Amino acid sequence: MSIPVIDPKTDLVLERVVDVSPALVWRAWTEPQHLKKWFCPRPWATVECRIDLRPGGEFYTQMRSPEGENMEGGSGCYLEVEKERRLVWTSALGPGYRPAVARVHDLFFTAFILMEPQGQGTKYTAIAVHPDEASAQRHAEMGFQDGWGTALDQLVAYMKTI
Amino acid sequence: MTNQKQLQLDRVFHALGDPTRRAVIRRLGQGPASVGELARPHKMALPSFMQHLAALEKCGLVRSRKAGRVRTYQLQPKPLKAAEKWMVAQRALWEARLDRLDDYLLQMKESET
Repeated sequence: MSIPVIDPKTDLVLERVVDVSPALVWRAWTEPQHLKKWFCPRPWATVECRIDLRPGGEFYTQMRSPEGENMEGGSGCYLEVEKERRLVWTSALGPGYRPAVARVHDLFFTAFILMEPQGQGTKYTAIAVHPDEASAQRHAEMGFQDGWGTALDQLVAYMKTI
Repeated sequence: MTNQKQLQLDRVFHALGDPTRRAVIRRLGQGPASVGELARPHKMALPSFMQHLAALEKCGLVRSRKAGRVRTYQLQPKPLKAAEKWMVAQRALWEARLDRLDDYLLQMKESET
């Protein structure tokens, strides 16, 4: 499986070049102590992270709101693990490829993180593919957007203070 | 979410869950069209086709207007706009996440050397 087929209506493709080695980018994505530091926007915090780095292994995160409320990020499942090149996981499956149960605020997605060396640094591509416009819409209508909008506002407010 | 809104949402999903109705939405994406124009590509009896149009109108995805003997349908973009807004929010989320990652990677690099 190479790069997924992209539908611009439901999928995101983000490309970055960073001045660090693919080894470091890989560690930031695959070691809980590092991932916790950047994965969710302050003042939210990633308080727990479990990574079982193999196809079928668990990717679990738990976040804490600024008010101290814990939010289950849920367990995702790694699909492809190719060291320092390719990391693919989905929220539609749990550990061991067991199909996940959709909860009210969930939207299933599959994320691809693709890395390649570029000079001294790394070019990496993050791709998030979502089921279809209808589920994106359902998600929006269920108030997901407000929740994340608030988180984003908080992020912007925080950024202005530093 | 109010029951009313929930009901409307159920109708939208029901409406989008049919290939004929999705084809109508795609066609109306290019601009308003009369019943005749809309029905032409579909091999079905007009009353059945009218039922599809009624389902789309009931959930608010399309609106129709009658001028003389011709009824014209038009797409109502609002329910579909929500999905678009959601994508914009998703992009902002990922952009912000990767910004934080970039910053953090530089910190990691510094502490390694």
